Amino acid sequence: MNAMPLPVALADVLARGDVWRGDTLASLPESAIPSGHAELDAELPGGGWPRGNLTEILVDRSSVGEMSLLLPALAQLSAAGGWLALVAPPWLPHGPAWAAAGLALERLVIVQAGKNAAWSVEQLLACGGFAGVLAWPDAGISAQALRRLQVAAEGRSVFACLWRSTAAAQMPSPAPLRVMLNPAAEAGLLSLRIIKRRGRPVSRPLDLSIPRPIPYLGRSSRAVAGSSLSLVAARGAAATPVA
Amino acid sequence: MGDRAAVGAGVCAGQKLSTALGLLPGLAVFERDEKRERQMLENLACWAGRFTPTISLAPPDTLLLEIGGCLRLFGGAEAIIAAALAGCSEQAYSVSWAAAPTPLGAGWLARIGAASVYPEMAGMQSALAKLPCAIPGWPNEVENRLESFGLKRLGELLTIPGAGLRRRVGNRPVDDLLRAWGDLHDPQKSFVFPENFAIDIELPARVEHAEALAFAGQRLFASLAGWLHGRQFLVRCCSLQLTHDEGAPTLLALNFAEPAADEARFLRLLREHLSSLKLKAPVEALRLQADELVDMPSASAQLFEQAAEGEGALACLERLRARLGDGAVQALGEAADHRPECATRSHEVVFDFGLNFSPKGTSFGARLTLGPAVASMVAASGKTPNPPPKIGRNRPLWLLPKPQALPERAGSPQWHGPLKLLSRSERLESGWWDEGEGGAAGDVRRDYFVARNPLGQWAWIFRDAEGWFLHGLFA
Repeated sequence: MNAMPLPVALADVLARGDVWRGDTLASLPESAIPSGHAELDAELPGGGWPRGNLTEILVDRSSVGEMSLLLPALAQLSAAGGWLALVAPPWLPHGPAWAAAGLALERLVIVQAGKNAAWSVEQLLACGGFAGVLAWPDAGISAQALRRLQVAAEGRSVFACLWRSTAAAQMPSPAPLRVMLNPAAEAGLLSLRIIKRRGRPVSRPLDLSIPRPIPYLGRSSRAVAGSSLSLVAARGAAATPVA
Repeated sequence: MGDRAAVGAGVCAGQKLSTALGLLPGLAVFERDEKRERQMLENLACWAGRFTPTISLAPPDTLLLEIGGCLRLFGGAEAIIAAALAGCSEQAYSVSWAAAPTPLGAGWLARIGAASVYPEMAGMQSALAKLPCAIPGWPNEVENRLESFGLKRLGELLTIPGAGLRRRVGNRPVDDLLRAWGDLHDPQKSFVFPENFAIDIELPARVEHAEALAFAGQRLFASLAGWLHGRQFLVRCCSLQLTHDEGAPTLLALNFAEPAADEARFLRLLREHLSSLKLKAPVEALRLQADELVDMPSASAQLFEQAAEGEGALACLERLRARLGDGAVQALGEAADHRPECATRSHEVVFDFGLNFSPKGTSFGARLTLGPAVASMVAASGKTPNPPPKIGRNRPLWLLPKPQALPERAGSPQWHGPLKLLSRSERLESGWWDEGEGGAAGDVRRDYFVARNPLGQWAWIFRDAEGWFLHGLFA
């Protein structure tokens, strides 16, 4: 751009936000959103969920704690007055639970986009008015459509998150951060594997402890469940002839 | 008056129709409609409300804008004029203009197509002096008489004594001359912006494709934006009526998520609506009416450019709503109901100034409702933060649209393997009041459990008289 060649020190170039060295994590120009999990923040470039970039979360089986993983970050965005959007969610959001997680419901928008999911996400990202956009695109979303979304998100201070199935891990994607979730071998934990990030690859998955509706006690909880089950079974059996 | 092609073929005013048709066989002839011209001038005056509050009409074809008071705001006369001309050409009006210290002087100079700014009285006077004596509005014999005196230019009129001239041509031309020169005061009757906004335009040709209406709509919305600016209103909803030559008119309601006065935003929403509109018959005329208005909150412009790029959340949502349908974009809310499927009440995203701009949380903008009132649902004010309800803490984030029946094997419900119950039962028994009503959840008697399957999935399941059901997902 500048006509006069300026002397540029290598250190200055390396300090730029959009340049990263292969052996370190990139520091993003946009401030990241702390995820609420210190061990995860340490592995994410910028120290949290990125703004202005697509983040893909690949998960096959639902209700393993995948949304609870994001709730601390979403609650933080919502508390700062930001708007959040859920585009084409696969189920109905249950208001009281989202409110209890600290989200302002009047700024949580559900978009039932149908076939226009990709278009809607692009509009929401590009409009600049949203702090967070979570979207469940079609399984067959093309790399070109993803590219458009990444371009729409670039430069905006929006946390853009796409939920996809783990089958998409084999396909290339323009999203700079891709994360795969699985229930961990140890019950009660969530295993998170970063399959792509700006920085050196991560070798081992992280086991994160995600808040669950009740503390998971492993085998000792069986006693509780057993008694209540038998109670219900008895009540159910008693109720049936009456009804 | 002919368009460029007609003038090129030699058609001009004063010809007989047969002559004109002989010169240009394909000539389309329209009868002059003074009522519509007047209407058009008023529409244009509404539109010009964005430049200055002081506007006067000088029918049949002149609009006077007093811009002396707005020079600082726009950054000079050139900037205002450039913006006005750009706006006129967008609406496909051909304009000749002049800017001068006196209204009459500006009008006369504009008529000959001066197209320049005369900031000083002297400059304007010397330009006026060169004008021919044919001034529209003066009686015809005045021009003839002046010509018989040998007076051809306005400047020459000033060289002869006024009293004698008055006796010979009457008072009006001499007074006009003095007003134009700035020697006599010339107060103008200023244009009063109409109380309610409703304007219509007839389309020159039948329009069969909805997209083609966007251009005609542009004029209407340009007028609306100027009128809103002039009256210091914001519009919350307006309606566009498409009149067909037969059959009932089509009504297109444009609802804004927040009160707006931005022409570009109006047009984006209009295009979105038109792209999904199927016309049942060709359209003859358009009518735009502002249905619900809100006082514009007095806000100072920001000292530094702080606004984020892009149109903002609400403008985006109203476009999404226009394309995806009315129920597709909703904000979440809670309802006081113990039945899980009734505890979430989603509603339209509506933005209210009373909520966001007023310091005390009282309604700030006196709302003026002209059309059918739209029930606006305002989310709970942030001033009284409700403590997070305890009940939501062990509730799932997702609910299934309909409880899914689970098979039972060896005494335990199955969902990708046997579900292990992790909590004591939570009895929910409610809803006797809407039992049997269509679409209502009805009377439920359920025992809810938190359960987990061998794959590590957490579910909210219940048991009732009919067996086990999966109802929620602890995502």
